[in-house]
Amino acid sequence: MTNRCTLQLTVLLCLTGAALSVNYGKLRFKLRSSNSACQTLLWQLITSPQHCLDDRMDFQIPRQVEQPQQFQKEEAMVVMYEMLQQIHTIFRRSFSNAGWNETIVEKLLEELDDQMDCLETALEEIKQEGKFPWENRTALRLKTYYLGILQYLKAKFYGRCAWTVVQVEIFRNVSFLNGLIGALQD
Amino acid sequence: MEEGCLAGSEGSWVLEDWWLEQRDEIAVASKGREGGGPPAGGTKLKPPQNVEVDIIDDTFTLRWARSKEPAGNVTVSADYLIPGIVDNWTKLPGCQHVTSATCDFSSLKMNVYEEIKLRIRAEEGNNTSPWHELDTFIPFQQARIGPPKVHLEAEDKAIAINISPPGAEDSVMWQQENPQYSVIIWRNMSGAQPWNETHHSRFPRIKIHKLMPETTYCVRVKARLLLHPNPAEFSPVHCVNTTVENELPAPENIQVILENDTYVLKWDYTHDNVTFEAQWLKSYLKRMPGSESEKWVQVQGCERAPVARCAPPPDMFRKRFYVRVRASRGNSSSPWSREEEFDTRRRVVIPPLVVALKPLSSHSLQVSVGFQDQTELQHYPLTYEVTFWENASNAERKTFVEQRADFTVLSLKPRTVYCADAQALLEDRPRSQRSNVACATTEAGGAPGAPLAAGVSAALTVLLVLCAALALGKLVHYVFFPAGKPPATIDEYFPEEPMKNLLLSTSVERTEECFIIENVDAVSAKEVNRLDEDHKTYTSQASQDSGNYSIEDESGESGGSQAGEELGQRGAGAGARSAVGFA
Repeated sequence: MTNRCTLQLTVLLCLTGAALSVNYGKLRFKLRSSNSACQTLLWQLITSPQHCLDDRMDFQIPRQVEQPQQFQKEEAMVVMYEMLQQIHTIFRRSFSNAGWNETIVEKLLEELDDQMDCLETALEEIKQEGKFPWENRTALRLKTYYLGILQYLKAKFYGRCAWTVVQVEIFRNVSFLNGLIGALQD
Repeated sequence: MEEGCLAGSEGSWVLEDWWLEQRDEIAVASKGREGGGPPAGGTKLKPPQNVEVDIIDDTFTLRWARSKEPAGNVTVSADYLIPGIVDNWTKLPGCQHVTSATCDFSSLKMNVYEEIKLRIRAEEGNNTSPWHELDTFIPFQQARIGPPKVHLEAEDKAIAINISPPGAEDSVMWQQENPQYSVIIWRNMSGAQPWNETHHSRFPRIKIHKLMPETTYCVRVKARLLLHPNPAEFSPVHCVNTTVENELPAPENIQVILENDTYVLKWDYTHDNVTFEAQWLKSYLKRMPGSESEKWVQVQGCERAPVARCAPPPDMFRKRFYVRVRASRGNSSSPWSREEEFDTRRRVVIPPLVVALKPLSSHSLQVSVGFQDQTELQHYPLTYEVTFWENASNAERKTFVEQRADFTVLSLKPRTVYCADAQALLEDRPRSQRSNVACATTEAGGAPGAPLAAGVSAALTVLLVLCAALALGKLVHYVFFPAGKPPATIDEYFPEEPMKNLLLSTSVERTEECFIIENVDAVSAKEVNRLDEDHKTYTSQASQDSGNYSIEDESGESGGSQAGEELGQRGAGAGARSAVGFA
């Protein structure tokens, strides 16, 4: 009798799972492995940060990003996508920077592109489900935060230490992205 | 900073507040005046009406309705305030003493993601209307997306559309955005059946295929943001003529297939005597602005392929990429094929499965399927094809198709060896190789008393429940509907453990009488087959167990078993009482 109940429950869960269009388990897995690769690549990219202590800057990342547990999974997806596209925009500008390992930057851009690709699909699906969180103030605050980073780089003439400071900041971002991935629970 | 609007020194804030209060009081007192303010020189000026902010890309415009008053020296001025950044009302550049009905304040350098507040008034000499304040807004949320710039390149049966993002090169509004695009294309051909298509692209370059040669096609493009619902404007119409049909058509149906653990590119082509050239592009480059054309790279091993297939180096398949192929004969080449994207991580061979069998009973086995190492595929909807057979010659093989990794096979023979192997399937992947063959033996059939015990237990449970119900009914009847003098022994229905006695006395007594009779029969029963004998033995034992106390009182017979004697001793008193109860 217990086996029959378990079977019925399993069938019900499977059907429910099939009805949900975003496979959050699969999304979490793909995002986590790509994010982990990003961390490794950034770590390889950051060289001699101790020489750039005077260039340090508090960019003031929005507090909400540091506390991802408050987000619904749809909001977490929007916040993540905003962060990924902004990080992608920043590193796109780094190609001409002399002395950088372009292979690492290229791999980093690939990983970011992968994550954005996954999220774009999922975001379109939740739009169709009518669950898209259009009024998301955190996304706007993040734009201001990343604008600050871009303005800092420009003010420092894209110097080596300015880039190092930004790389360290983005390394922190990637840790916060891990937390946001955790918010993508079914 | 929407919470705090304190501006400048406290003194100036207090003065302004007082002024606003005075203005409102006068407006209430003099009903005839709309938004009345302190008149100066006797003329009553109204603030501009129907004021709206229009933002498209980086152009910020303030508009209002033209004044109905006779044309004179009436001008309009506006101020702005950015809470937390510019906390005093400040003159809005480009909107001071304006004589027309619009003003452009695009020169104001601001953070387009921060809230801004505007106010506007009419002026005529020293006479000013009251300020009319607009609702706070965030420019980025208010802005419309302007038309993107479009460049078309035509082939014989395809058009490549290169899109530049909206706004100027130094655009502030969209500088941090990666817009997506919608393209409407239609055929401009008189007399022909109307045709149009809408294409959506995440990237600024899109190629539309399967068009007709020597035909005029027109497009309109608009941008959109994935995360924000800003309305957008279409570009102007751009038209282009497709060329004469090319001698060599473009290859079609590019595929990546796995042959003997090697990835192979193959495609379809209808013409002979051609060589093929394949190029590939890493997917992430599609997002990069600027010209993509120089980023396509020759596929090694596919520079001048004589047949419609080639084997690229394995490291090409590490990540997502696009592939395009064209054919050549002599000096002429076909156009490039459609660009196909591949992600071979989705096409990697499913690792080998491991199958295990576990006996559950004499008639069932549990089948478990899994991967030896953790794989991302565990998150994908895999289907398992399990082949199951009895380990005997010429045994029939059955195939189960399951989406569960653990399932039970029923209706098997006891003490029989069964074997299984499995394959995994996923939509766009090749099947996995067959797993190991696992075998297991079902348990010995008819385990002493096992199914029998279950059946008899169930029967006993049902009987006990019925007896309890009957006893309860009788009790209720005795308590609530006493028939004259209650029996003298009624108190004995409520001993220290009433429920136990209820179960073991009245109705059970009747049943036990039946069991007693059965017991007598069972003692003299002849040998029957093993199962039946066990059943009888068990029943007899049960009857002895449950009924022994009854037996001692009525007949003085001692129980036939130790268990019976024990129970008999315990239940002797009860037995006597229950016998009486049934009288």
